[in-house]
Order: sequence, then structure tokens, then C-alpha cells
Amino acid sequence: MAENSTVTLSRVNTPPAQTWNYLRANDITLEVPFVSRKGDVYFALPRLFESIECGMGQQVTEWIESQATDASYVEVRAGEKREEPIVVTGMDTGVMVRAGAEATVVVCVGGAKGSVGSLSASSAAGETGQGPSESANEANASATSKQLSTSAALVRIIAEHDARVHVLEFVAADDEVQHIESVGITADARAHVDARQYFLGAGTTAAGLTCSLNGSSARFDLTCRYLGREDERLDINHVVRMRGRNGRTNVTESGVLDGHARKALRATIDLVHGSSGSEGTELENVLILSDDVTNKTMPVILCDEDDVAGNHGATIGSVGPEQIRYLADRGLAEHEAEALYVRALFDESLIAAPTADVRAVLLERAKAVLGEDIANDLVEGLELDAVAHEED
Amino acid sequence: MHSQLLRVSDVSAGTEDKPILHDVSLAVGAGETHVLMGPNGAGKSTLGRVVMGDPTYQVTSGSIFFDDADVTNEAADKRSLAGIFLSYQAPVEVPGVPLYSYLRTITQKRPELKMTARKFRARVGEIADQLDMGSSFLTRELNVGFSGGEKKKIEMLQLLLLRPKLAILDETDSGLDVDALSVVSKGIEAYRQDCDGSLLIITHNTRILERLTVDRTHVMVQGRMVAEGPGSLIDDIDAHGFEQFERAGEDGGAA
Repeated sequence: MAENSTVTLSRVNTPPAQTWNYLRANDITLEVPFVSRKGDVYFALPRLFESIECGMGQQVTEWIESQATDASYVEVRAGEKREEPIVVTGMDTGVMVRAGAEATVVVCVGGAKGSVGSLSASSAAGETGQGPSESANEANASATSKQLSTSAALVRIIAEHDARVHVLEFVAADDEVQHIESVGITADARAHVDARQYFLGAGTTAAGLTCSLNGSSARFDLTCRYLGREDERLDINHVVRMRGRNGRTNVTESGVLDGHARKALRATIDLVHGSSGSEGTELENVLILSDDVTNKTMPVILCDEDDVAGNHGATIGSVGPEQIRYLADRGLAEHEAEALYVRALFDESLIAAPTADVRAVLLERAKAVLGEDIANDLVEGLELDAVAHEED
Repeated sequence: MHSQLLRVSDVSAGTEDKPILHDVSLAVGAGETHVLMGPNGAGKSTLGRVVMGDPTYQVTSGSIFFDDADVTNEAADKRSLAGIFLSYQAPVEVPGVPLYSYLRTITQKRPELKMTARKFRARVGEIADQLDMGSSFLTRELNVGFSGGEKKKIEMLQLLLLRPKLAILDETDSGLDVDALSVVSKGIEAYRQDCDGSLLIITHNTRILERLTVDRTHVMVQGRMVAEGPGSLIDDIDAHGFEQFERAGEDGGAA
């Protein structure tokens, strides 16, 4: 292989159980840079992290490990409540949250190159990529030729028993960015993990998250909010393995698609043998604002245990007539009502943003999407500006 | 009567296959408080929605003038911006939209209410205090997961924030416990005092009127306006019910 070249990650981000290939919903194929690291001294994560299943699959894990200049390991001691968020800055990060501890893990990608795990390879991922869905690979398309830079993050988290972990993911990059984010989490007994994902921009966002509830009475709550517009592409894979008894999972995905955006969301709750007493719910709500949008949703409940409950549902459509009427009665025409949903995504992400740096990234994206006036209004109204200045 | 703010003249309206309102006329002066009463199914809520411009209903004859402008064919959002506010009996849930984003957007649509985001937030805080609302509600999704009483408080919050010229309150008191009813009544009173707006209150419950001076009372039966009188007419209805008006309605004319 050449020193600096591109490689193809073929059919990654797959769910545990796949559907018909002709639906082209099972996976994504990505053209990514490859920089030779021969001779580099690489600090690898402890072996324990190797066993963690990550959302985008082993092929992506191996690629990121091969590209990362180093791995970051963070440990939160047993019983410690860590106030300062753990901000992911490298491509390969492992976080160990010991028993009874609490921690917040933040991944944030923004700007023209992506701020996390940005690959400086000027080989322009995607320039050599296959065309969109008509490509030889029948399952999915490669990155489009418009994309110039690739960023990537691999985050593996171990939550020991009774730990409390908050995961915050923000992707708000420019259209020239292809971002790849693979997250793997394991939760022991009574651990409670909540994750919030905000995918608000990037030419291609490919994101996978797998959470394995290994211990009894463990809990996982996932909220995923996304915006796809113009020619953006979103490929999301959520997998929850419920292995321990009496586990609880609640997955809520919702977003807005406009322009020619293409989105595939795969969400699987796997009630593994031994997970009796567990309950898992997955619900997606997609708002479609354009006739040219491509939306694919693949909710799956796998069940190999008695005495469990698995629920899923999806609502796909435009803004409901009741909502349109209500908003019109308060002065908003239909297109303004639709714009409100987009603004709301940014409002919500800014409320969730834990640091000034993250807010700055979101604000830049909000300016590009909503315009400068509204973006500044968001920050001022949410009283975030003062905090940002202090921290700056 | 003060100068007429709303004038509904001989309006007949209904859905595609069902006429509901028959030659209804009603006039509300600036700064006045009117009460619209009638038995269930009389068409009171429909009249409120027709005035607001709900596209579910078609006006087949008659006209609606608001603030000296013919709004009969105007869309609801235009009527809202002109100063008409309809408070919902069952406010609609809007998932995906935090209350803050919503309030800020509808306020910014009105040039006369434009203010900096900081002042806006302070203003919302003041009104929320007036209505005994907590501070965390702003980040919650609009009307999602709120109790019936909380939803009505959010309606009142919007009423006080938007300061419309005319507020149509469609059974705002329905389903409220005593405490929530008291808060909502205070909200309506505050609207009258602070905004000097007009009120058209659709209600079955006279308790919500205790803090208000009612200028006129209207009675509807079977889609027709069958009686109009002073505020004291409410006491008469309270004592004797709608039977006398229902008979008039069967005769097809106004009392």
C-alpha cells in the first residue's frame, strides 16, 4: 500500500440483522484516507477495550487504530464525580468509569476540517470515490467527490457497576467534511448511561453507537437529533445489546430532512438470552421538508428471551396539520413553522453543549444554516454568551 | 359601545358537507369583555375558529371585519399578526420544538414586540412568575408531557407575551382544578389590565368571570345567535339554563 493513499471501508455500519440488499439500507461504503504509520510508536489502549463492540464495526475500528497517532486513555476513579467533561481530542479514546463514578464524555466536530481526529491527508477522501448509489457496490454509495477532508473518532467507554456516564456527541461541520464516528459502550450492573447525539452538518456523517448492557438493572437512554439538508448524507447505526436482567433502554431519534439530503437510520434493540425482565423502546420521528429527500429507517427488535418487552415505532412525514394550524394561529405561515423545527434543533443542541468550545462550533454551523442574526439570537437568548466570553 | 374591533356580519360557515353557523352576527368593541355561551354543540367553538381563520371551515356568506379591515379571506397567520388570538381548549402538542424557540419565534414575528433576546427572556420570566410557572419549562417541548393545567398556563403565557388586540378564549377553564383556574383567571385579569385588549370568552363556567366585568353576553343555539344582553344575562342563564334560548333556536330567530 502506498504511504499516503485512500482505502475503501466496504459495507460498514451494519446492524446485527440485515434486510434485503436491494433496499440499500444495510450499510455504507466509504472512501477514506490512509496514511502509513510504519515506524511510529503507538500507545494502544488496555486490552480490555479491544473486546468492546463499536457501532460502525471492526473494519472501522481497525482503520481508525491504524490512522491514530496515539490513543488516549482516561480513567475516572471509583466513586469520583468528575465535574470537568472528558473532551475527546484524538482519534482513538478509551474511557474507564470505575464503580459508582460519574463522568461526561464529549465529542465535537465542526468547521471545514473537523476538529476531532482530522486527517490531514490531502489525498481528498472521496475524490477517488465511486459515484453515488449507482456505484458497483450495490449496497450503498461512497462519499461524493465534493468532500475534501475526513475526520474520525473512535470512542470506547466502560461503565463499571453503579457508574453514571453521560455521552454528548456534536457533529456540526461544513459540507466539505466527511465525518466517521464509532462509539462502543459497555455497562455493568446498575450502571446508567445516557447519550445525546446532535448531527447538524457535514457532507457525510457516518456514525455508529453500540451499547451493551452487560450487568443486571443497567440502563441506557439515547437521544439522537439530526438535520440533513442540501446534499448532505447521514448514515446512523444504533445497537443496544441487552444482556443483563431487568435492563432498560429508551432510544429516541428525531430529525429534519430538507433539500436532497439522504439519511439511513438503523436502530436495533437486541434482547439477548438471559435478559429476562428487560424492556427496550425505540422511537423515531422524521420530519420531511422536501420531496427530494431520501429517508430510510430500519428499526429492529431482536428477541431471544421470555419475559421481555421490546417496542419500536417510526413516524415519518411533514409537519402535522394540527401543528400547522396551531402555529398559524400564533402567526407562523407553513414555511415559518418548518423553519422553527430547524431552529429548535440548534436551540436544543446549544442547551446541551457543555463547554464554550462546543457552543462556538454549534454557533458557526447555526450561522451557516439559519443566518447570523438568528444564530446570535440563539446564544444571547439562552444566556450563553457571557459564559463563552469568560471561558475564552 | 366603543369603536368596533371585531364585526362578524351574517356569517354562515361550515365544513364541506355540514353547515354549522347560520347568519351569525357579533360585534366586539375595543377594550370590551364579551361572553359567548350556549349548550354543547351550539357552534361556539366553531365561531371562534372561523374568526381565527381555521381553514377547516369555509365561510359561505357574510363578512368578518377586524380593526376596520376585511379579514374574511385572510389566512390564520395574517389574522394572528393583525392581533387576533385564539386560546385552545386542548392545546396542541408540538414535539421537537422547545417552548423557548417557539415563544422567541412568534414574538420576533411581531415588529411591535421585537426586543433583544435578553429582554425577551426577562419578560418571559416575569410572566411565568405571574402564572406560578417554574423556570425549567422553557427547555421542554411545546405542550409535550404537560398536564392540562400547565398547557392552559402556557396559553396564558402566550396571551400576555403577544398582547393581542382581541383574545378569544375557548373554554380555557375546562378541566382545570381550583388552583389552576385561579391562576388562569389572574392571567386573564392581567391581560385586561396590562394590554387593554378585548375578550371574547367561550365558557360554561362562571367562576372564570368572577374577576372580570362583562360588557355583553351572547347566546348561541344550533349554530344561530339567539340572544344578546348585558353581563347580567349570565346570572339569568346560571339560574334558568338554556331552555328558553333553545326554544328560540328552534323557532330559528334571535331573541
